[in-house]
Amino acid sequence: MLKKIIRSNEFVIFLILVFLSLAIGLVNPAFFSISTLFDTLRASIVFLIMAYGLLPIIIAGGIDISFVAIAAVTSYATHMFLIGRGYQGSILLYYTIACVLGVLMGLLNGVLVTRFKLQVFDVSLAAFTMWYGFNLFFVGATANYEIPQSAVGYYNQFIIRTRDPFVGETGLHVSILYVIVIGLVIAWLLKYTTIGRGVFAIGGNREVALRSGFNITRITLITFAVMGLLSAVAGVTQAFLSRNFNPVIFITQPLDVLAAIILGGAAITGGSGSILGTTLGVLVIQLINRALILTGIPVEWQRFVVGLILILFTSIPALRAMRARRVGHTTELVEGE
Amino acid sequence: MTDILPGTDPVSQAALKDEILRAEHISKRFGGVVALNDVSLSIYKGEICCLVGENGSGKSTMIKIISGVYTPDEGDITVNGRQYKKLTPITSIHEGIQVIYQDFSLFPNLTVAENIAINQQLASGKQLVNWKQVEQIAREGLAKINVSLPLDAEVSTLSTADRQLIAIIKALLANARIIIMDEPTTALTQKEVAALFKVINGLKSQGMSILFVSHKLNEVIEIADRTVIFRNGKKTMDQDAKGLDAKKMEFYMTGREIDGQAITFGEVNQADAPLLKVEQLNLARGFFDVSFELKPKEVLGITGLLGSGRTELALALFGELPANSGKIYLQGKEVQIKTIQDATAHGIAYVPDDRIRQGLFLEHSIENNIVVSIIGRLVNRLGLVNSKRKASEAQRWVRQLELKTPSPELPVKSLSGGNQQRVVLAKWLASNPKILILNGPTVGVDVGSKAEIHELIRSLAQQGLGILLISDDIPELFQTCHRILLMRAGRIVEEYKRQDITEQALNAELVAAAPVRADASASTHVSAQP
Repeated sequence: MLKKIIRSNEFVIFLILVFLSLAIGLVNPAFFSISTLFDTLRASIVFLIMAYGLLPIIIAGGIDISFVAIAAVTSYATHMFLIGRGYQGSILLYYTIACVLGVLMGLLNGVLVTRFKLQVFDVSLAAFTMWYGFNLFFVGATANYEIPQSAVGYYNQFIIRTRDPFVGETGLHVSILYVIVIGLVIAWLLKYTTIGRGVFAIGGNREVALRSGFNITRITLITFAVMGLLSAVAGVTQAFLSRNFNPVIFITQPLDVLAAIILGGAAITGGSGSILGTTLGVLVIQLINRALILTGIPVEWQRFVVGLILILFTSIPALRAMRARRVGHTTELVEGE
Repeated sequence: MTDILPGTDPVSQAALKDEILRAEHISKRFGGVVALNDVSLSIYKGEICCLVGENGSGKSTMIKIISGVYTPDEGDITVNGRQYKKLTPITSIHEGIQVIYQDFSLFPNLTVAENIAINQQLASGKQLVNWKQVEQIAREGLAKINVSLPLDAEVSTLSTADRQLIAIIKALLANARIIIMDEPTTALTQKEVAALFKVINGLKSQGMSILFVSHKLNEVIEIADRTVIFRNGKKTMDQDAKGLDAKKMEFYMTGREIDGQAITFGEVNQADAPLLKVEQLNLARGFFDVSFELKPKEVLGITGLLGSGRTELALALFGELPANSGKIYLQGKEVQIKTIQDATAHGIAYVPDDRIRQGLFLEHSIENNIVVSIIGRLVNRLGLVNSKRKASEAQRWVRQLELKTPSPELPVKSLSGGNQQRVVLAKWLASNPKILILNGPTVGVDVGSKAEIHELIRSLAQQGLGILLISDDIPELFQTCHRILLMRAGRIVEEYKRQDITEQALNAELVAAAPVRADASASTHVSAQP
């Protein structure tokens, strides 16, 4: 049992996380503070939500990048619509409208994939370009800083407050609770429902999944609906945390989320992946981003370092396989050893 | 023993009451090709029925008709006393007919337990997964065939033999009454075959019926209660397996006597300098201290069980698994073979055992497959491929190897196993090799084509090639080789001249290989290797 945990991807990525924290802490002891922890978590929230939405699609063997565009359109369009009508109410209506839009946009991808047998990546590439274009052309091309009256204080609604000598009062934002709830729900769906097991089955062997009687169309549509839903949640949350609505928010970041999921042990070819691994993957990437600031390494290095870690990490299983291939498989010998 | 008339059944009347399935007067045509012509087949409770036949004899068509994939043009099927004009896959499964295909239909990324239980989960229509129950189902399934497998291991980490066991359990849990196994022993070691046969016999004693489809006549002799042979879409034999030998079966499969005696072997001139000389070659976890010589015009057999190091040796000479130490001489000159490019540059060609995965581009034309290794020689001054030369080169090999195809432009997958193997051969011969390494050249090839490939191997040697033939098919070694090396636990333990040993004696030596390796001296020596 212990051996299994140690050999798991999650454990390796956990070690990276611990190692990174220690290394940063050695260079800059200011790193070891509650406010840094809260700050890193705050920066991770929306990426975690988006990653959780994307994970089932990856496990089922697809690659999607349109989720960021869906996050941008749902949040920005909802905002421009409501603010244009003088809405001053709570954030709840934002989430409601955005989520409905998000599910519909996710389903559009899903229908194109299942109905017309298109590749997930092709469809998502089209949707990515199309929805950002839509946002800029039809909704608006500039960031908007208006916040409805009832939602103005949302950005610093903390569940735990703390005082930091350098940054003043800070805390753990309430939306971390969404992350926890969403993570648990997705993990439960993947592990304990027939649909969730179908997601793994499709990623493992699509043909056999079909023959076994999984409803592939339904399962695929559900994964895309979930992706659309969580993208919308992430989009709205991001806007209220940063107090601005940006029509091209996240446009450079789909690959960061994808990288986090792969770092978390999901195979790009499908069939594997976990919420725990994905969570750790997102945290590692966020930590690297913080770390480079705290240790004084220029920001330009961030991407380079993330890429480097990704190469190292993804080559572990490849190296293992290569070593296995470089020697014979004379089984009569192996048994004797 | 004359041909059995279609529709009549030789099994005694007493057995008839236990008949589970009867397919009567089945005919099936595809376009102009008659795949099955008025064939009848019965399967009885608690028997192992072996279905034997060459490629294209109609075996697969029959399986597909029984399992409801194809609808017969004529004839009807009675299962468990119910008569059907046509079966659908669903009714076939409901009647307890389960086919275990060669891919086993498993999910590599899921655990053993989940793979076993997943069909029940789906059939129950439940939306939630109860993992305790999954484990329970898996345990019960494993108990049914009395084997133990780690329940939480991913299927991708299991051997082929274990995957097959899971496929069998899945069939049993689906309430199978007849299990159809299509070439189940293809990728198994001798030990695994023995284990599989134990499982099959266990199922039989529980009253299960097995339809065992195979090419391997020695296995059929071992396992069959009743043997059915198809040839060209007709049933040529259906009788109690007792007293049937391979010769007789070959006759009913091919309609001709395949004579092992009338073979003429080319002479090897002992005075010739060796084409290939290997000294003290070693590969970690592969083989040790391997030394031998190969002369021009010689066919040298290398035999041993699966896992004896025979394939590793071939791959080392071909540069795919370069040896860690030792010397290789080609025509007297020492050479380094570190990559496949090194090997091909020195005129070594390798025909793999898994021709489908490693040797051919199935979707591409026969012509393209043949010229792929020499495409560099077929270009004009602009570096573009000269299609006329390409076609004529391909045509030459189609003629020379007597490839049976209407056109070299058809995809390779349209060919039978024997002809596909010829395309692989042609591809390598086109590059004018000096040494040809053949690994299991007739695995999955039917008896008739097999004899022709053996003839081809002998004639290639006579033209001056040196051939290393790796095979555990003893009759094959005797029909082609001048000398035979026996490998055991990564070492060459014996060398035989063909004339000096009988097939039976060599077979005994081969099978005896497994237990011997447990002796202490061998294993200490092995572990002393780096």
